[in-house]
Amino acid sequence: MNTPITAAIRTRLKLLRGLIRCVALPAIACMLPAAFAAEAKLPIFDAHIHYSHDAWDSTPPKAAIAILRKAGLKRAMVSSSSDDGTQKLYAEAPDLVVPSLRPYRKRGEISTWVRDETVIPHLEERLKKHRYAAIGEFHVYGADADLPVVRRTVQLAKQHKLWLHLHGDSDAIERVLAQDPEARILWAHSGFDGPAAVRAMLKKHRRLYADLAFRNDHASNGKVDPAWREAFLEFPDRFLVGTDTFTPERWHYIAEHADWSREWLADLPPDIAERIGWRNGETLFASMMAQRR
Amino acid sequence: MRLGLAALLAFAATTCAGADPPQFTAAELGRIAAHGPWPLPWTADPGNRVSGDAAAIRLGHALFFEPRLSANRRVACASCHDPARGFQDGRATARGLVAGTRNTPGLFNVRHQRWFGWDGAHDNLWSASLRPILDPREMGGKAARVARALRGKSALDCHYTAAFGKRPDAGDPELLVNVAKAIAAWQETLVSPATAFDEFRNALQRGDAEAAAAYPAAAQRGLGLFLGRGQCTTCHAGPLFSNGEFGDIGMPFFIAPDAVDPGRQGGIKRLLASPYNLLGAHNDDRMRDDPTRSNATGTKFLRAEHRNFGEFKVPTLRNLTLTAPYMHNGSIVTLREVVKHYSELDEDRLHADGERILKPLHLAEAEIDDLVAFLESLSPDAAPPAPIAPPAVPTCRER
Repeated sequence: MNTPITAAIRTRLKLLRGLIRCVALPAIACMLPAAFAAEAKLPIFDAHIHYSHDAWDSTPPKAAIAILRKAGLKRAMVSSSSDDGTQKLYAEAPDLVVPSLRPYRKRGEISTWVRDETVIPHLEERLKKHRYAAIGEFHVYGADADLPVVRRTVQLAKQHKLWLHLHGDSDAIERVLAQDPEARILWAHSGFDGPAAVRAMLKKHRRLYADLAFRNDHASNGKVDPAWREAFLEFPDRFLVGTDTFTPERWHYIAEHADWSREWLADLPPDIAERIGWRNGETLFASMMAQRR
Repeated sequence: MRLGLAALLAFAATTCAGADPPQFTAAELGRIAAHGPWPLPWTADPGNRVSGDAAAIRLGHALFFEPRLSANRRVACASCHDPARGFQDGRATARGLVAGTRNTPGLFNVRHQRWFGWDGAHDNLWSASLRPILDPREMGGKAARVARALRGKSALDCHYTAAFGKRPDAGDPELLVNVAKAIAAWQETLVSPATAFDEFRNALQRGDAEAAAAYPAAAQRGLGLFLGRGQCTTCHAGPLFSNGEFGDIGMPFFIAPDAVDPGRQGGIKRLLASPYNLLGAHNDDRMRDDPTRSNATGTKFLRAEHRNFGEFKVPTLRNLTLTAPYMHNGSIVTLREVVKHYSELDEDRLHADGERILKPLHLAEAEIDDLVAFLESLSPDAAPPAPIAPPAVPTCRER
C-alpha cells in the first residue's frame, strides 16, 4: 500500500539514510554534488581571443559564445579583423565579452597597418560608434612604434581612456610609453621574452601588464617554472592568461587552454592563482566596461 | 673541385637543354650531399625483438594482406596501403570500415621515421601498426579474431610460433603486440629505389660531370630554389627529405563544421596515454632503463604545447608521384598545387611568433614548374614492383 503518508515517510527515511551515509563518507564527497564541483572550477578571464571574419561561418556567434561559456570563462577580451566580429559577440553576450578594437579591417594587415593612414579614420569611426576597453591586439616592433599611424593610435587610446593590447618587442613598448607615459599597455605574449626580461619591464613600467598567451615556458605538467614563479609572486596583479585564437580552428582549443591554465595556476598560492586566472582581468577591464554601459 | 664541377655542369646542361641550371656553391653542394646516400643503412629496431627475424618478416608480410583480421573480414592493411601506389590508396582520406579524416601515409622507408602517423601518436612502428587493426573505424580487430586467423592457416601458425616461441593464443596478452611487431618487421624491409636525384647527387660526389649533366636542368633549377629561396631543407632535411618533426603550414584542419583535427597536440596526448608507447612494458629495448641510451628518452620528455595544435608531420618527399593526393587531409591533388600553396602562403594563418620559417615564396610560373620537376625527381621513374614475399622459414610448410 502506497498512501501519500507512507510515501512521505519513505522519502524522509531516504533522506535520513543519505545523511547517515554522508556522515560515514569523507565530508567533501557528500558536500560537493557534481554541479557544485563544476562551478568550483577556477573561472578564467581569457585576455586574448580573436573572432576574425573567417571564423564567423564555421563558428557563428551563438556557437562561439557557447564555446566560451562551456570553457568556464568568466570573461573574454575579444578583438577581430574586422571589428564586426567583436561586435557580433558583444551583442550576443555583453556580460561575457570585453571588446577591444583591432586596427585591422581584414586579415593580412598585420605588417602593413603601421604605414596605412586609412587605419586612423577607421579607428576614429569605430570609437565613435562602439564601446571598448582597449585598442588591439596590434603588432608593432622597434622603431615602427614611432610611425605616425602608431602615434595617433596611442593618442586615441589616451583620448578615449583605453588600454593598448600590444604585440611587439620591449623596444616598441618603450617607444609607446615615451609617447604617453600614462599609457596602459597589455603586453601580448609578454613579447615572448624570458621571465627576467618581463620582470624587468614590469618593474620599470607600473602601467605595463603582461599576457601569457601562446606560451608554454612558464609551466610544464602543471608545475610552474621557478623563474616564472618568482615573477608571478613579485607581480601577482600584472599577469593575465589568454588563448590566442588566431585561426578559426583555435576556437576549439579555448576549453583545453582554460583547463591547461587551471592546472598550472593550481601550483601557485590560491589568491595569486585567482588574480592571474581572472581577478586581474576583472579589475582592469570588466569593471571599466561596466562603467561605460 | 666541386665548384669546377658545378661550372662544368652548368655549361653542359646549358648546351644540351638550352636552359640555365644554377651554379651551386660549395655550401649548396654540401647540402645536396646531405640528402644522401640512398638507401640508408638498415638497422634493427631495438624496441622490437623480432625486427629482422625471418619468421616474423614472413608472418608480417602475410598478415599485412590478411583481411580476416578485420571485423568484416574484408579490410586488410593493404586495403589502404596499396603496394602499387607506394603503399598509399590514392584517396583524399582513408576508408577502412568507415571513412576516416586523414590521408593514408605511404610506407616506403617507414623504418627510418622517428614518430608515426600524421600526429605522431606513436613512437614506434609496431604500435602504429596495431592501432588500425584495433580501431573500430579501420579494421575493428580483436584478439580472438586475430588468433583464429593465425591458427586457421598452418603457415601463419608456424611462423608465429617460430618468431615468438609459442603458439598464438587469444588469451595471451602479448598476442596483439606480437602480431603488430611481425607486421612492423615486414614493413621495415620496404625501401624505395634510388631516384634521378640520387644519381645526380652521387655523380656530384664522385665528380662525374657527364653523369650529373643527365639530371634535367629544370630539376636542377628546382633544387636551387629548394635549397635557396625556398629554404625547404629547414624541414625537408636529410636523405628522407624530412626532419621527422611537425609543423603548421597554414592548412585548415576542420574535419566537421564543429570539430577539428588537433594534429600533433592530440597526438602527443594519445602517445603519452598509450600502453604501447616506448615507456611501456612492451618495449623490448635492452637499454630501456638506461636514461642516456634508452630509445624511450624522446617520449619521456615530450609535452604538448599550444603551437602543436594543428601541426602535422613533415612528410618525406620521396615517392611523391606515387602517393597523391597530398597534405594530412589529402586536400591538395597535385604537386603543382602543393608548390602554389607555399608560393601564396596565407601568413595570417601562422602565428606571428610561433612560426618564423614560412614566408610566401611568390614564385613565377616557371619557378613552380622547376620545383615540381625537382620534386618529381625524388620518385622512381615507375611504380616499384610489388614487394616479393620473403622466403618461408624452412621448418614451416606453406599450404
